[in-house]
Amino acid sequence: MVRFKHRYLLCEVVAEDPRCRHCIDERAVTTAAKGALARAHGDYGLACCSIAFTVKYLNAYTGVVLLRCRKDFYRLLWSALPLVTHLESRGQRHPCFFHTLHVGGTIRSCQKFLIQYNRRQLVMLLNSCTNKEERESIQQSLLGCFLQEAEEEQFQSGEEEDDCAETD
Amino acid sequence: MSAPLRRLRETPRHLLVCERSHVRHERSRHAARVRGHAYNCRVSFLIPECGVLPEPLKSVTTDMGEYYLVKNLPLHELVAQEFISAFVKTGSCYALSYNTRIDQDNTAALLPTDCHSPLKHIGKLILSVDKDTYEELGLQGRPSRYSGKKIMRYIITIDLTDSAFHSDSKKYKRVLWALRDKKPLEFDFLLSWHHTGADGSTLMSYFSKHQIQAHQPKITFSTLRNLQCPVLCSNELQGKPEESCSAQELFEWLGAVFSNVELDNKSFSFVSTYCCPEPSTMMDQAYLCTITGFILPEKIIQLLDQLCAYFDDPKLAQWVTLTVHGFADSPVSWRENEHGFQKGGENLYNFVVFRSLDYWLQMAVGANDDCPP
Amino acid sequence: MAEGGAGEPPPPPRAPLERLVLKNAAEHHYLRVSLEFPDGGVRLNAAHFKQLVVSALKELHGEVGAALPVDVLTYDEKTLSAILRVSSSGFVKLWSALTLLGSYQNRKCAFRVVQTSPFLLALSGNSRELVLD
Repeated sequence: MVRFKHRYLLCEVVAEDPRCRHCIDERAVTTAAKGALARAHGDYGLACCSIAFTVKYLNAYTGVVLLRCRKDFYRLLWSALPLVTHLESRGQRHPCFFHTLHVGGTIRSCQKFLIQYNRRQLVMLLNSCTNKEERESIQQSLLGCFLQEAEEEQFQSGEEEDDCAETD
Repeated sequence: MSAPLRRLRETPRHLLVCERSHVRHERSRHAARVRGHAYNCRVSFLIPECGVLPEPLKSVTTDMGEYYLVKNLPLHELVAQEFISAFVKTGSCYALSYNTRIDQDNTAALLPTDCHSPLKHIGKLILSVDKDTYEELGLQGRPSRYSGKKIMRYIITIDLTDSAFHSDSKKYKRVLWALRDKKPLEFDFLLSWHHTGADGSTLMSYFSKHQIQAHQPKITFSTLRNLQCPVLCSNELQGKPEESCSAQELFEWLGAVFSNVELDNKSFSFVSTYCCPEPSTMMDQAYLCTITGFILPEKIIQLLDQLCAYFDDPKLAQWVTLTVHGFADSPVSWRENEHGFQKGGENLYNFVVFRSLDYWLQMAVGANDDCPP
Repeated sequence: MAEGGAGEPPPPPRAPLERLVLKNAAEHHYLRVSLEFPDGGVRLNAAHFKQLVVSALKELHGEVGAALPVDVLTYDEKTLSAILRVSSSGFVKLWSALTLLGSYQNRKCAFRVVQTSPFLLALSGNSRELVLD
């Protein structure tokens, strides 16, 4: 069996304006990414990356998005993402940029990376805490991270099958 | 990088072979290189700092020999015993099908008997045919080297001067039957015959039944003014920074001169940023002569000899060049090396003869070619 | 990109014979192109012509494509034909972009690629243009 190989790009939408969070939806991200692709790599690049292009995961609170495209052409998408300057939704433009955190071959590797990344972020937050309540709530979250990971380990085999199904 | 994106950056195969030697050196192969390249459509030479051609050079230039165009010549005429004994065995007979494209049509070429190397190519008829014609003909051949997995083109080589190829032999009868009765092939042929002491017009009378025209090579002269020229050093084929230019740079510059490209562009120019390779000198004038037609290697050797003789008297020029373009659609490039047309079908060579009679020879071929000899 | 001498031993100064084989070493590729308008009568100068080539590249290959170093070596205003030079890695991009260009200022047009070669010298002698009558 031969399957189509994909690449997953884990990105973080960085915006100064907190209102931007509300506008992170699938359509806005797709439009922004494709617009940047068309500008940087033209019709050819856009067509190449449009094969199997989807937004696989999106978290409006943390601003994390997971984009998928064919393995052959991920470099085009990768190089175009820094050219995104804003997200557009409901006729409003919100300036922001994409920060690529990780490029992975499976959703699972991206998920693992994301958990690690978030934990590191939490540790950094912990260091800069000013009062007790904050400190406690972050410690709680950190513990949560470990728990989640432990859970994952248990379901590893099941999830990997899922992963293959996605990439087919 | 992934395969599709890599393919976007790749270019078809091409080769440039540079050789350096001395004209008088006993192991120098320059004459063999010229003689090995049978079909030439254009010869140009460039002499820096020259206003008027010396008389011997001029007479060679104007006497490049007639060639003939025969329309709709059945191919079996070229394997007729009469033709073989009258022309192929007695002199150098060159024939190449005209206006046939080697990437889509059938093509035929007759390689001459080479008196200098009797074992190398001796009066061979080479056919490059598509699969259907090959199957209809029923002659033995071999698949083209550049035909890919699914073979669509075959090369048939018929040795006309083989001792087993006489009028009673089975082989001869088979070839004649195939070309005359089984699958009659007709081509327009460019023909030329070189035989010391004989006139080419015998060829004309032999083919008088067919539509035959005599042609003279077309000659154009021009004097280029204020030409920027690269500085060359005969010992430095690859050039030396700040001292001399490489053979590759010269090759590009020469192409630019022949195509009348502006040589002194600025680096910020919008339209073109090409400029003459450095270091360079300014020349008041240069003499450029171009001869177009079906030109025989024998004549090119004469021309090359005269160009070498140009330096017998003291001259201002440091070097002269002689450029020869082959036919893009001939089935062979050098000797019997198969030639094809992928993107450009280029097969050409260029001599740079220095004042000391050292020379550079550059041979260039495209994608569907063997490495030059 | 192999490069190597063959045949003779490494040359001492003034070696009688030296041979150098350059495989796929051409830095640039050259295209002889002509621009066609079905109804004719369009005048373009060299800068506009180059602009058209760049816009064709930009359309198909985006800003990355438009940044390719393309030179218009010669340009003939009467016949709208030109010789283009492009770095070898951009050759396929340029050719494909020219092929897919369809219009200039809302007028239909097409690029014809007459001849291509890794050697500029080859463009000056095209045996397919040898016309005898």
